[in-house]
Amino acid sequence: MIKQTEGSQAVAEAVALCRPEVICAYPISPQTHIVEGLGALVKAGDLAPCEFLNVESEFAAMSVAIGSSAAGARTYTATASQGLLFMVEAVYNASGLGLPIVMTVANRAIGAPINIWNDHSDSMSQRDCGWIQLFAESNQEALDLHIQAFKLAEEMSMPVMVCMDGFILTHAYEQVDMPDQAQVDAFLPPYEPRQVLDPAEPVSIGAMVGPEAFMEVRYLAHAKQTMALDRIPEIAAEFKEAFGRDAGGLVRGYRIEDAETIVVALGSVVGTLEETIDTMRAEGVKIGVLSIRCFRPFPMAAVRAALARTARVVVLEKSFAVGLGGIVSTDVRLAMVRIHVRGYTVVAGLGGRPITQDSLLRVLRLAVADELKNLTFLDLDWDIVNRHLAREAATRRSGPIAENLLRDIGSGARPTTAGKAQP
Amino acid sequence: MSENLSACMMRMVETDYALSDYQSDIAPRWCVGCGDTAILTAMQKLCRDEQLAPEKTVCVSGIGCSSRLPHYMNAYGFHGIHGRALPVAEGVKIRRPDLDVFVTTGDGDCTSIGAAHWIHAIRYNMNMTVLLHDNQIYGLTKKQASPTSPIGQKSNTTPFGSVLLPLNPLTVTLGVANVSFVAQAVDWIPDLLYDILKKAFHHRGLSFVRILQRCPEFMQHRFDDYVRDPSKMRILTHGNGLRLSPEVSRVYKNQETHDPLDMGRALAIAAIADEIPVGILYNDPSVPCYDDLRAGERPSTPALVETVLREEFDKVTIWPDDAEPVAAE
Ligand SMILES: Cc1ncc(C[n+]2csc(CCOP(=O)(O)OP(=O)(O)O)c2C)c(N)n1
Ligand code: SF4
Ligand SMILES: [Mg+2]
Repeated sequence: MIKQTEGSQAVAEAVALCRPEVICAYPISPQTHIVEGLGALVKAGDLAPCEFLNVESEFAAMSVAIGSSAAGARTYTATASQGLLFMVEAVYNASGLGLPIVMTVANRAIGAPINIWNDHSDSMSQRDCGWIQLFAESNQEALDLHIQAFKLAEEMSMPVMVCMDGFILTHAYEQVDMPDQAQVDAFLPPYEPRQVLDPAEPVSIGAMVGPEAFMEVRYLAHAKQTMALDRIPEIAAEFKEAFGRDAGGLVRGYRIEDAETIVVALGSVVGTLEETIDTMRAEGVKIGVLSIRCFRPFPMAAVRAALARTARVVVLEKSFAVGLGGIVSTDVRLAMVRIHVRGYTVVAGLGGRPITQDSLLRVLRLAVADELKNLTFLDLDWDIVNRHLAREAATRRSGPIAENLLRDIGSGARPTTAGKAQP
Repeated sequence: MSENLSACMMRMVETDYALSDYQSDIAPRWCVGCGDTAILTAMQKLCRDEQLAPEKTVCVSGIGCSSRLPHYMNAYGFHGIHGRALPVAEGVKIRRPDLDVFVTTGDGDCTSIGAAHWIHAIRYNMNMTVLLHDNQIYGLTKKQASPTSPIGQKSNTTPFGSVLLPLNPLTVTLGVANVSFVAQAVDWIPDLLYDILKKAFHHRGLSFVRILQRCPEFMQHRFDDYVRDPSKMRILTHGNGLRLSPEVSRVYKNQETHDPLDMGRALAIAAIADEIPVGILYNDPSVPCYDDLRAGERPSTPALVETVLREEFDKVTIWPDDAEPVAAE
């Protein structure tokens, strides 16, 4: 059914169609509307049997999820930013135990400084935690990915994180095609746990493993993610067959066939990039976009194949590794080993800085001319940066950076309106 | 120069802080009618009346509407991580015992995501003043039930009303080992709010003040009955607790003389459900501070004693302008 709805509500309804049996969450912007939507469905009895637990923190949310998943329940939670970071110990525990929990991450920057707006720092900080990570380009894809995620998680007995851009997707009203219950039921069989706390066959989950087998347990996690590389495109194909839509899979190319320049990106910015690419194509530039839809397991072969015949690659990412540069780029470079391609990294959109077509056109034109620096920060305000560096050089006690910068740009003392609109 | 001596000298040259000295140049971003405003005002008045040097005063908070308070105080502030206000404050206090530390934390910040730290902070009993802004809701994230939300409270996570008995921050705090000061205030009786904060500030140890705080945005009318009907407020008085002014006494006639050393009665008062008790529930100045307990563990080996002595001497040594202090071997 086609309907106009908010991204969060679309995801809540899609998750509900997957018949989760336990949902637990702690509110954090911009995830709140998803879990509030689900809470309302559960409490109205529209989603039964299902328990919804308003826990006291994200750490509790993931821990409860571990317990309920181990007890054989299809389990869902959602978080963002600080919330994801707070639950990290349990996040690793869930993947280490092979529990097929599905979690939405409404991507948001990490503090300090406090920032509620979108970037990918939160999910990227967990790229090595053993969860599968899928990134949605649109609200339609976000809802479709959740349906695929439960199937994938349960088949592989592995947790899956569905990442969607905070506010840009979660709070955007768009048209989506919402499947019906029968369609989802036909696609997603009831949960058949690989391991379950079963009184008939009592085992304890959570063994202590010493040097004699720890490496092997960890390797198996990797081996299973490698197997998921085959299963993810198959599930996307089955999904297309059942629902008639292209969603998920490992990577998706746009106008890359003859492209001499390929921009690699994840999430909703791919849409903006496609429009930018159309503009450049109209000017005769052979350029295309490669969207990485599955970031973990990293689709090394698919990325390599997509980039094999191009001359240069620009990775545009909403995250970065302090002291190194790109995170996505580092992985993409690995896929480019021994193919002769020039590589550029553009870090963009941190903490919600808008990624405009004008700015994209500017850096991409530089890239096409091979005049771009290896590492570029899109629209970085050098005046602000240099002013602070000068201050640090001049004074030992130069004070906290964020506060100084706000004072420099005159936004610290900004009087604001009433608190109503506080997210 | 010892920290105390320098503080004294600062005071001698810079007396007479006015209220405006504690107001930052950031305009508060709270909704009209928000109880946080009254709490901020009471704190600023306290600082002025105690003539606390802004640079010797620290406000630590977590995340929430209430946790914005440090931005509006002209003092050292730390607005940090949801749920972590108390341990951050402990870190400040342990390194700088000479500073006056205030903690502002919401009901979510303190009793939900930060609950573990809350229990332990009471037990450490470091010398600081903790203000729990209890509006019984998560305000900043826009109306989700908190552990202190009343039963039946409708919210975005409890659309049909919350089913759990609320957590009572007073009884919980009173139940923790080493508790030394527990009080309750309400934002709509500013005189008593001020008096209670003052008592809390002068208590040596962790003083825990739960402040029932109105949130007109998401908990409209929650406390209307109590605001309108002063007889629903039970005011606790005592020679060692609050002494009421004639004006307050005239309006708030429902009074109880309560000895703040009486834990049994304090627990009973804390559990009162139909009235709101206001005043000092418990105050035992003899409970040792974390600092006092640690005094016995201080340097014992000759080398450590020497280091400490040397540090003390360094403080009073005057170095010639161009000479660097010689490093001790
Ligand atoms: C780890 C983490 N989880 C969740 C949040 C989102 N969050 C910010 S404030 C808040 C609750 C605020 O409620 P309370 O402490 O009662 O303060 P109030 O806004 O009511 O003053 C939540 C859930 C966060 N910032 N960090
Ligand atoms: S939402 Fe409530 S607590 Fe937050 S500023 Fe507004 S009135 Fe105050
Ligand atoms: Mg609150």
